[in-house]
Amino acid sequence: MPRSRLTLGAVIVGVPLVLALLGPLFVGEPGPRAASFTLGGGGHWLGTDFIGRDVWRQVLLGGRSVVLVALAATALAYVVALPLGLIAALTHRTWLEELLMRPLDVLLAVPSLLMILLVASVFSPGAAGLALLVALVNIPDAARIVRAAAAEAASRPAVEALRMQGESWWRMAVGYVGRSVGRTLAADAGVRLTGVLYLVSTAAFLGVGVAPDAADWAVMVDRNRTGLFVQPWAVVVPALLIVALTMGGNLLFDAVLEKRNRT
Amino acid sequence: MRGLRSWVARRLLLGVAQTAAVVLLVFVLTEALPGDAAVALAGDQPDPERIAAIREAMDLDRPAHERLADWAAGLLHGDFGTSLASGRPVSTYIADGFGPTLLLAALTVALLVPVGVGLGVLAARHEGRLADRIVSSMTLGVYAVPEFAFGVLLITVFALRLGWLPPTAVGYGTDLLAHPAALVLPVLVLLSRPVCSLARLVRAGMIDALASPYVAQARRYGIPGARIRYAHALPNAITPAAQQLARTIDWLLCGVIVVEALYVIPGLGTVLMNAVAERDVPVVQGLAVVFAVTTVVLNLGADLVAHRFAPRAGVAA
Repeated sequence: MPRSRLTLGAVIVGVPLVLALLGPLFVGEPGPRAASFTLGGGGHWLGTDFIGRDVWRQVLLGGRSVVLVALAATALAYVVALPLGLIAALTHRTWLEELLMRPLDVLLAVPSLLMILLVASVFSPGAAGLALLVALVNIPDAARIVRAAAAEAASRPAVEALRMQGESWWRMAVGYVGRSVGRTLAADAGVRLTGVLYLVSTAAFLGVGVAPDAADWAVMVDRNRTGLFVQPWAVVVPALLIVALTMGGNLLFDAVLEKRNRT
Repeated sequence: MRGLRSWVARRLLLGVAQTAAVVLLVFVLTEALPGDAAVALAGDQPDPERIAAIREAMDLDRPAHERLADWAAGLLHGDFGTSLASGRPVSTYIADGFGPTLLLAALTVALLVPVGVGLGVLAARHEGRLADRIVSSMTLGVYAVPEFAFGVLLITVFALRLGWLPPTAVGYGTDLLAHPAALVLPVLVLLSRPVCSLARLVRAGMIDALASPYVAQARRYGIPGARIRYAHALPNAITPAAQQLARTIDWLLCGVIVVEALYVIPGLGTVLMNAVAERDVPVVQGLAVVFAVTTVVLNLGADLVAHRFAPRAGVAA
């Protein structure tokens, strides 16, 4: 059963992923603008979008930003959360732990999309800004998970033995505790990546971090909605690709996790 | 009993701290900008007149801590300030958008609990068999799908191809209850993610609970299966789910913003998005406070309920 789900997830996620990463290599020069919202014909396989661009070309170009921003945001969240959680778990000074973790409890209380919109109302973040924002709202939760896993590992007899042997703090923190946290993190990373994909694409749909005419699947869904009844392909194709990306990703990560837990 | 009371007191204190911090955070994120806030807010048309008007309206000449104190004191009295764009009080914006959003949220939560728990119990009863496999795969797959993509596909199928439901709520105004057909798709989309997460948690909890010694003992006594499931196993299974409901509230608030944009429903989410687009900071601040405080209060409620069901489980704080 997990095996079949593994294959299913890999197939579902494979199509949008390949399109997103390799698509930009196969686009030609932009053709002349045609009329907006035409169905097929005239060399436009999937018709044209709201300003008369070729939909297939936009589809090929539009996945890269979604996938890359999501990957960057996930990596960035861990880069901050990992040292934060490790220090909070390994320090013997209670005040330091409270100082590091309590502010995160407060941040956890704010709905993530709201935080992104708040910042977007003042700045106009680009793609890098969006990655930074999404990473920021993911730090509290990730740091808590790191801390919990590290605290468990730090209370093992092995750490006690290392300490009695007079090993350095660095060796204990990175060499032993950090390595045991790795397993938990690998499990968390998949879940977090799908959550981040959700946030990145939803923010782009709401117009945060993207140009209004950007080649981005989420932006395509938003901007071409007005022509849904005339030219459904410009909306349905990118929407299906986003659904496949998130749905397949989740099935795949879950199957991988189940397989690892079994062995 | 003393332990319980002190736990409730600590949890309430955390709630108060979170509320205060959220108010501070909203202010800092939107007003304590590096450089001149008035210039940043004027955005695309930075003519001196407009900048001066913004500076005047937001009292930007005064130090930030004084403005924060004034604003926070106003919030306590229910005074949210006035809009930069229209000059109307922010509270009228909130009052206008409140009805549709509350209706959407109430309908969703009212359906969420029975559907989520029902699916979870169904899957747990048939663990490993066909019904479980269908429910598990479906909830796992739909769980991560963004509302806007799911919603736009539903519009394509049910409004465009089949013509059963209206594609958006355009033209119905705020009186949505008179047009129930326009509510079907928005509520369905809002339900999609929370139902999946709730059903998965209830399933996991129920499988554990049904395998426990007390259920085996109850079976030996000959207590009917339905009673064992719903009166004995479910309350234990639902504890982790009640805590997860707090997370769900976060999703629901995000979902409401997206769904209102997608189906053109004139609720709080639409008001917020319009204010963000117009850089109408007082309106954004007011709505952010309303959304964030709602989250804090509902989180608090969920923790208290979880604590009531299973006092031995140490809930956060």
